[in-house]
Amino acid sequence: MSRPLGLGAMSLWALRRAARSLALLVGASFLVYATLRTAPGNMVDLVLGLNGTEEARATLRAEFGLDSGVLLGYARWAARAATGDLGRSITFSPGEGVAELALGAFAVTLGLALVSLLLSVTFAYALAVALGRPQPRQGLLLGPLSFLNAAPSFVVAVCLAHGINALIHLQLQGGGRVGPSWYPIPTYQSISDSLAPFSFAMISISLGDGLFMDLFNAVRAELRAVSGAQFMSAVRAKGARTRPHIVKNLVVPTLSLFTARLPLVLSAVVVVEYIFTLDGSGYLLFEAAKVRDVPVVVGVSLFFIAAVILMNLILDLVKAKVDPREVARVE
Amino acid sequence: MSPSPLTLTPPPSPTPPLRRTPPRPRASTPTRAALRALCGLLLVSLVTPAAAKTYRYPESSKPSSLLPFFVENMSGVRISEFVFESLVTKNKRGDVEGVLAHSWSVSPDGATITFQLKPNVKWHDGKPFTAEDVVFTVEAAQDPKTIFASKSKFRFIRSARVMGPAQVQFTLLRTTKNPAADFTFKIIPKHHFTSTAINRLDRFSKYPVGTGPYKVAKSDLRVIKLDRNADYWGRASIDSIEMMHTPDSNEQINLLKYSGEGAGVQTVIFIPPKSMSTFENSDSVVLEPYHTVAWWYLAFNHKNPALADLSVRKAVALTLNREELLEAHLGQGDLLSGPFTESSPYYNFDVELREQDVEEAKSLLEGAGYKLKGKERVKGNAKLKFDLVINKDLPNCQPLALSIQADLRKAGIVVEPKFVDAALYNEQVMKQGKFDLTVNIWSFEELEDIFPLFRTGQPQNFIGYSNAAIDEQLDASRKESDHKTYKEIMMRLHLMLNDDLPYVFLWSLDVYSGVSRQLSDIFIQPYNYFTFFKDWSFK
Repeated sequence: MSRPLGLGAMSLWALRRAARSLALLVGASFLVYATLRTAPGNMVDLVLGLNGTEEARATLRAEFGLDSGVLLGYARWAARAATGDLGRSITFSPGEGVAELALGAFAVTLGLALVSLLLSVTFAYALAVALGRPQPRQGLLLGPLSFLNAAPSFVVAVCLAHGINALIHLQLQGGGRVGPSWYPIPTYQSISDSLAPFSFAMISISLGDGLFMDLFNAVRAELRAVSGAQFMSAVRAKGARTRPHIVKNLVVPTLSLFTARLPLVLSAVVVVEYIFTLDGSGYLLFEAAKVRDVPVVVGVSLFFIAAVILMNLILDLVKAKVDPREVARVE
Repeated sequence: MSPSPLTLTPPPSPTPPLRRTPPRPRASTPTRAALRALCGLLLVSLVTPAAAKTYRYPESSKPSSLLPFFVENMSGVRISEFVFESLVTKNKRGDVEGVLAHSWSVSPDGATITFQLKPNVKWHDGKPFTAEDVVFTVEAAQDPKTIFASKSKFRFIRSARVMGPAQVQFTLLRTTKNPAADFTFKIIPKHHFTSTAINRLDRFSKYPVGTGPYKVAKSDLRVIKLDRNADYWGRASIDSIEMMHTPDSNEQINLLKYSGEGAGVQTVIFIPPKSMSTFENSDSVVLEPYHTVAWWYLAFNHKNPALADLSVRKAVALTLNREELLEAHLGQGDLLSGPFTESSPYYNFDVELREQDVEEAKSLLEGAGYKLKGKERVKGNAKLKFDLVINKDLPNCQPLALSIQADLRKAGIVVEPKFVDAALYNEQVMKQGKFDLTVNIWSFEELEDIFPLFRTGQPQNFIGYSNAAIDEQLDASRKESDHKTYKEIMMRLHLMLNDDLPYVFLWSLDVYSGVSRQLSDIFIQPYNYFTFFKDWSFK
């Protein structure tokens, strides 16, 4: 039997979680910063090439924040970041604020990841409910589905893009007609111009990397476990409605699935959004790293790390709310 | 450095939207209704005609900046042509022609030049363009606190002086045959800056103000949109321009391949040889050749004791089958015997091309003491084994490196190719000299200036090359103001460099742009590309 937790215990638990999250944020951002600073090639060399006096180079090093060691440089960056100032882009988009740049791009990436995950989870539940108990003939559907779902998401994205281009190209060959505004892919349109590239990216992520089948298998197992649990027999025996009990008991496992898959989906998104030319963090990270733009790469990475930490924090809070034994276990 | 590409515009046409067959009425269920709504959302843009009269072109890299001083890559050079203007430019015949300058006069001693500026020229923000702006540009470029790579382009000016609202006078450091030809740098507006010390992070880098035919309307992550400048002193026929950052060359080809009425792109600046066949018999795209002043080379690290030996360098040069390498991996071009393209006035046609001769290469290596042991050559404990470091961005670099490896193996020279990204290449090869062999391209704005490449101690002499006789000739060329004598020195240097082999001079490529047939009056400027874009139009 679990006893109700006091406010003090809850606060202590929340404080510990917050401290651990902060330590993770600092550690991970330092790793990114240090990796980029110690990688061969730097912004001054990229900008001046073989030209420029030593004095000019020293001035630029100071201006770009490369005049101090890795530890001191990170400390300076972290002190500014703590006040909300993530600095300005130097070589990727000179002078542009990193916070605005990273926030705009990360919103696209996170939005795409969350929508793809939500959609996949929803369809996985729908299919699990529709199929009911596992039966041999379901293999006729699930076998090919698993096979198709095994391709990496970027392969799905490339095939989808080429397939759509070729189809529309064929349609247009008759002449006298014009293709959709997003044709050909890549379209270079933002989400406000057209939802099509976003939708194609979402489909590629859901259909690639085994995401859908993985979720389907997991939710089907959870569904069966909850439906077959002992307390459900009692619920049924009392003649009460079973659905609210099933739903309540599926919240934590679903959220756990969601949180566990998020980092993987995010890494798929950064590649897929590149293919569909969505202005997300994948493009930003890759291009900024190519020109060694330290503030941009560290700034964007910070959003990634924060998102994963935040999702885990939300999961813990929900778990604590739904099942106080979780907090007691931590205690 | 990469060859410059080309661009085109799409034709505007009031084309009807895609027709769709109306669906048969069916019994509606909530699932079916939801599916229909989803499909409707996805297909809604199918019936939306694309915007017309916009010229689109892809670029492999983002412009490093839109502020002319800080333009450090070719995409920046190209887009600057739309936004900014210079006092003079070279016209299609190669003669110097006024742009912002109406006329000019040179003092009898050639020490000063006075420009009379065009009247009624306005900046994109409506302010008038004056002589103050010209002087400010030069003073800002020469301010030690304005740090940029091509600062040397302004060193020929001793001082600049405003002589009147539309008149500016320059005192020059040295006299030349045609001093006006050096004033091709872009002019920036004084009223947008508070001092001559200009920082590369200035907001102007993203939202510039020029006097050119197009002004920046939107500057997104990947797309820069330019609209026609309504107050432009001249005329430009195309309404708007979109530059799209498309790093993948296959994607660029697809965008051109699928281009149609208002869709895709109208130009791909550089068509890789492997993609030429896509457009060779195309009804919608034409391949436009253009000449770039750029040549490929295989450089030796002269600090490597084995490569400091001329016999080894000659053996490498004789082992390569350049004709085969060029045809197999890069298409068509001219094999070179020196540091100039064949169209350069300095190319010395009396210098013969080295043909492949593996036997001669082997005997040179034997003579230098490198004996064959198994499949490798050794001299004492030293093996004849080299790292070939290549920038991954170089077109077709991987198959090319493997073929070079295979060629050199025929003479017992072992080569290990290493492919690195641009930043690492810059650091490892150009700065630290950690390589034995490298293949790369030098490209030049106009005529080849080889002084910085081969003069002892010059920053661009990254191979550590030093030859007193070559230095003497290069120094003489710097002091020479007589064009004929200068040409003689260059031709002599061609011969000397072919003998001494600081590099193996490889080839210059025939470069092609893919241009949509929707465009007419195309003239491509080999380096800046869009210099004559004002004349381009949609059919």
